[in-house]
Amino acid sequence: MTEEHSDQEHQDQIYLQPIPVRIWHWLNAFGIVTLAVSGAQIRFPEYISLLGSYKSAIYLHNTAGFVVAISFSLWFFYYTFVARTMANLYVPRVDDLKSGILRQAKFYFLTYFLGWENPHHPTPDSKFNPMQKSVYLAIMFVMMPLVSLSGIFLTNVDPLRGLIVMVGGLKLLAGLHFLLACSLIAFLPTHIYLATLGRTPTEHIKTMWTGWEDEEEGHGEESTNADLVTSR
Amino acid sequence: MNRNFKYNRLWLPLLIVALWLPLSASAMEMDDCLGCHSDSDMVGDELVIDEGKFTETVHAEMGCVTCHESVTEEHPDDGEAVSNSSCLDCHEELGDEYMATSHADNATCSDCHNPHQVHGLNTVSGPDMNAQCFQCHEGPDVMDSHAEWLPQASLHITKVPCITCHTAAEGYDIVLNITQKQDKLKGYRFSSHADLKEYSGEKEISRLIDIDGDSHISLTELRTFNLNPAYSELELGGTLVPNEMSHNLSTLDNRYDCTFCHAAGPGSMQTSFLALPSEDGLYQRLTVEEGAILDTLYGTPNFYMTGSTRSASMNIIGLIIICGGFIMPIGHGTLRFLTRKNRKH
Ligand code: HEC
Ligand code: HEC
Ligand code: HEC
Ligand code: HEC
Ligand code: HEC
Ligand code: HEC
Ligand code: HEC
Ligand code: HEM
Repeated sequence: MTEEHSDQEHQDQIYLQPIPVRIWHWLNAFGIVTLAVSGAQIRFPEYISLLGSYKSAIYLHNTAGFVVAISFSLWFFYYTFVARTMANLYVPRVDDLKSGILRQAKFYFLTYFLGWENPHHPTPDSKFNPMQKSVYLAIMFVMMPLVSLSGIFLTNVDPLRGLIVMVGGLKLLAGLHFLLACSLIAFLPTHIYLATLGRTPTEHIKTMWTGWEDEEEGHGEESTNADLVTSR
Repeated sequence: MNRNFKYNRLWLPLLIVALWLPLSASAMEMDDCLGCHSDSDMVGDELVIDEGKFTETVHAEMGCVTCHESVTEEHPDDGEAVSNSSCLDCHEELGDEYMATSHADNATCSDCHNPHQVHGLNTVSGPDMNAQCFQCHEGPDVMDSHAEWLPQASLHITKVPCITCHTAAEGYDIVLNITQKQDKLKGYRFSSHADLKEYSGEKEISRLIDIDGDSHISLTELRTFNLNPAYSELELGGTLVPNEMSHNLSTLDNRYDCTFCHAAGPGSMQTSFLALPSEDGLYQRLTVEEGAILDTLYGTPNFYMTGSTRSASMNIIGLIIICGGFIMPIGHGTLRFLTRKNRKH
């Protein structure tokens, strides 16, 4: 991506999603869908047998679980230590909380319908609007770690029995895992839907595939963007 | 219940004939025999019978001579070998079932049962049943060979006694046991009568859970027990055991199929028991209110079989959450469609 010509090619675009993030995103997306389907078979074996035997559903679920847990760790490591943009990207700032969320909500639920512009313009430094930030924070910092942790506990019931009892018992743990899983599943339709709210329905989705997002005309951040792009 | 009834009807006349003669004479003789055979100084360790344990068993009602018919008045001075009757004489049904399996070449009845300490299925714990198998099948070997196809093999083998998978019973119940913390790393072990006595003090240990003393455990009583901070070291664990004994000791193909246990239609897993240890090391069962295993929060916090003990209320909450995820796409999407003209520049 540092070569000259690609810079030319993407003249009116910004490089929003670096390769590691894109790999992680699709691995994670695929992993979560796999986990949801196999998890559903584990919980409702009488009704769902998409993946063949119960045992294969369990092995698939456990494997996908570990892939997702590891890719989550890599994601965390990448943003915190390599890109060093974790705090910036994911933790809402004070003004995000004070006015940003409201402004963004107003856009999604009102001015969007009137045809106004999105008040937030994604840059590699500030990819997410204040609403996205808060939701992603809850999902990536609370739900994903908890679902992975409870899952890891469930794959080691006997060795971790003492800890499981401390948490309140196997039943509670499984219940927590199930409800968190449902919440993540519930997030999917919302997530996919919001992804279609770009200027064209596929704009954001393409970005997550290629890394490049079309630059909007008339916004004053081009120079910094160009710097960022070439310095990568 | 059913089975015993059948047994009595078929075998009672036979038994009476078999037992009548010796019984009349042996009431005294049993004490005679035990006079020597409960004392290791008299007969040596090998020939000692644990009197306390023997007299508690159903076999004790028959007296010694019923099974050792050839014993004479001069015994032991006559030097004659004493006959042992065959278990098959009286236990035809289970006996024939067992003798038809290939395992009969590997172990005799007395390898698993001490004829002087017999106990029924309902009075032993899962680990005690497994102890019989572990005499010949070494624990680590069994774990290794089962771990090849069974995830969390050690969990399964502590929660599912060998006979649940290796005999062909018709139905299965969940039996709850009180377990308690041992050293930090070792996890939980079954509490003994003495352990529980420390908690119950003067009272019967059953009163720890069976608060109203009606020998039936209600959901409220389970809850009270589970939430009582004084019992924080105690936990209810469950085992899945056959509800009647089969001796078709073999490897049953359908036990490879996890859904033999991990899938169950609505209404299953309703029956459970609480097994309380008695002083002699055996267990006594109390009935538990239907559905305790499925109760989301308190019934038995530490027994969960994926697929078959899921809670229905949890499913509904989950469904509501997932439906919530469609509010945004559907609601917003409709308005978006209706106002699409506004965004045409
Ligand atoms: C006076 C003490 C005494 C009494 C009473 C007695 N036994 Fe024994 N019994 C012995 C001794 C000693 C031996 C070991 C004899 C030997 O090794 O030859 C023995 C051996 C046996 C054996 C094992 C024989 C074997 O071949 O392994 C049996 C079975 C037995 N007794 C049953 C009985 C029964 C049943 C009674 C009551 C009807 C009884 N005994 C009463 C002292 C006694
Ligand atoms: C239900 C039948 C039954 C009754 C009742 C019974 N025995 Fe036995 N006993 C056996 C059998 C079977 C064996 C052989 C065990 C074996 O093969 O290991 C045996 C073995 C023994 C032995 C040999 C040592 C041993 O433990 O293997 C002694 C001694 C003995 N019995 C004494 C007694 C005495 C004394 C009583 C009464 C207090 C008694 N038995 C009651 C069935 C019985
Ligand atoms: C003389 C007849 C007789 C002989 C021989 C006999 N039993 Fe029994 N056994 C009974 C009776 C009667 C019962 C009680 C009814 C029942 O549960 O089947 C019983 C019960 C049992 C029980 C269940 C105990 C309980 O508390 O429910 C076991 C286990 C048992 N026998 C094993 C054996 C073994 C092993 C042998 C051979 C060493 C044997 N029996 C020999 C008559 C006999
Ligand atoms: C491989 C071990 C093994 C062998 C061999 C074996 N049993 Fe059992 N048997 C068990 C177990 C385990 C139980 C469950 C209760 C217990 O642990 O005593 C049991 C229970 C019983 C019961 C009580 C059933 C009930 O409903 O409570 C009887 C009776 C019995 N066995 C008879 C026999 C007879 C007769 C033979 C020989 C033909 C035999 N057993 C051989 C393992 C064995
Ligand atoms: C007296 C020793 C002895 C005892 C006790 C015993 N076994 Fe076995 N068992 C054997 C031997 C020997 C074999 C054959 C070698 C092997 O497969 O390990 C065997 C084989 C088996 C097999 C494989 C046979 C097949 O047909 O697939 C199973 C399953 C088994 N035992 C289960 C049990 C269970 C369950 C118990 C306890 C209730 C038990 N055994 C108690 C000796 C014993
Ligand atoms: C969840 C069900 C289940 C439980 C619990 C279980 N087994 Fe098995 N066992 C099986 C199945 C299925 C096989 C056949 C595996 C194979 O052929 O690969 C088997 C195979 C065996 C074998 C023959 C193969 C070998 O390992 O040598 C023995 C012996 C055996 N089991 C003993 C035991 C004993 C002893 C216990 C209790 C400590 C036990 N099993 C508990 C399901 C079970
Ligand atoms: C004979 C019944 C039985 C069979 C067969 C069986 N299981 Fe289990 N399984 C249980 C029981 C009982 C538990 C433990 C429940 C407890 O202690 O909470 C359990 C627990 C588990 C767990 C722990 C996770 C949890 O949340 O409870 C997994 C994973 C599992 N089984 C997978 C399997 C797979 C895969 C198979 C088939 C290869 C299988 N089981 C076959 C009875 C069985
Ligand atoms: C990220 C790491 C995860 C791990 C390690 C994990 C592990 C587990 C384990 C161990 C079980 C018990 C059955 C089994 O052993 O397979 C389980 C059940 C389940 N999992 Fe996961 N899981 C993870 C993530 C997820 C996710 C993201 C979802 C859905 C989006 C999910 C959905 C489910 C469901 C529905 C069940 C059945 C629960 C029940 O019956 O109560 N899991 N999971």
